[in-house]
Amino acid sequence: MVSLMKRSVAELIGTFILVFFGTGAAIITLMISSGQTPPNSFNIGIGALGGLGDWLAIGLAFGLAITACIYAFGRISGCHINPAVTIALWAVKKFPSHDVAPYLVAQIVGASLASFTLAGIIGMGAVTTGGLGATAPFEGIGYLQAILAEAIGTFLLMLAIMGVAVDREAPPGFAGLIIGLTVAGVITTLGNITGSSLNPARTFGPYLGDLVLGGSNLWIYFPIYLIGPIVGAVLAAFVYNYLSNEAG
Amino acid sequence: MKCYICAEEGKSTDAVAICIVCGMGLCMDHAIRQETEIWSGGYPFPAEKLKETLPRILCKYCNQALKKGSPKGG
Repeated sequence: MVSLMKRSVAELIGTFILVFFGTGAAIITLMISSGQTPPNSFNIGIGALGGLGDWLAIGLAFGLAITACIYAFGRISGCHINPAVTIALWAVKKFPSHDVAPYLVAQIVGASLASFTLAGIIGMGAVTTGGLGATAPFEGIGYLQAILAEAIGTFLLMLAIMGVAVDREAPPGFAGLIIGLTVAGVITTLGNITGSSLNPARTFGPYLGDLVLGGSNLWIYFPIYLIGPIVGAVLAAFVYNYLSNEAG
Repeated sequence: MKCYICAEEGKSTDAVAICIVCGMGLCMDHAIRQETEIWSGGYPFPAEKLKETLPRILCKYCNQALKKGSPKGG
């Protein structure tokens, strides 16, 4: 196994790629559609170009970036690129305690660097119009409802990880593709409900970038994207272990 | 079974192994033993090289062909 330092760097790069391409797609969609007047506050611009197809496109940008990272870094660091996944694997004793903190720090740093890089490349429009792709619950979606939606979305993501990757009986080679497509599917459904983060680091980066660069301060919503994904992922890991255990 | 390479040289030597690729019988002098690394893990766990290796026996022809076909050139 390579050193913890190298694995942490792989996590940092992987999370950078995830946030750069994923939130980058959201930013660009918002900027392209900014000339149109949203008909109501439930329509922030995403969806104006192609209905649910916009969310599918954003979801695929996230998903395909995840797929590429899993095939590139899966053998090096495990390519969690998501604190909820790292914590869930640790919770079911599949990941050592002493590696958790370095992984989480690397993921958060990678996500933050991606948000600042996007602002640097695209310009302030990425902050003012695109909000750096930050997630927030849409109109009519309460705090607890948003946590539940994020938990269910991450539950499916973690269930897929357990089934196609962690399980020793899983067919080899499919994990990256299936997990990427799972994320794309979840984002298509949850995108216009919570923004479909499924990943605390993915929300942290844009929130920090928006705060530092003069965008919206959305930190009041951060617990949604911390609690929901972690609860959903941990629950999925335990449920999968329980259901797949032949004893009992 | 006799060693194929020895037979090519006009000698008759008992084979002690078989090439895993072509099935050629090989004597001790002509059998090439390679140690193949074994890795455990992989997504979502870091892969880890195990101390144990997996031995495989090759003849000189298959050994050369595999080295040429390897991405690292053997």
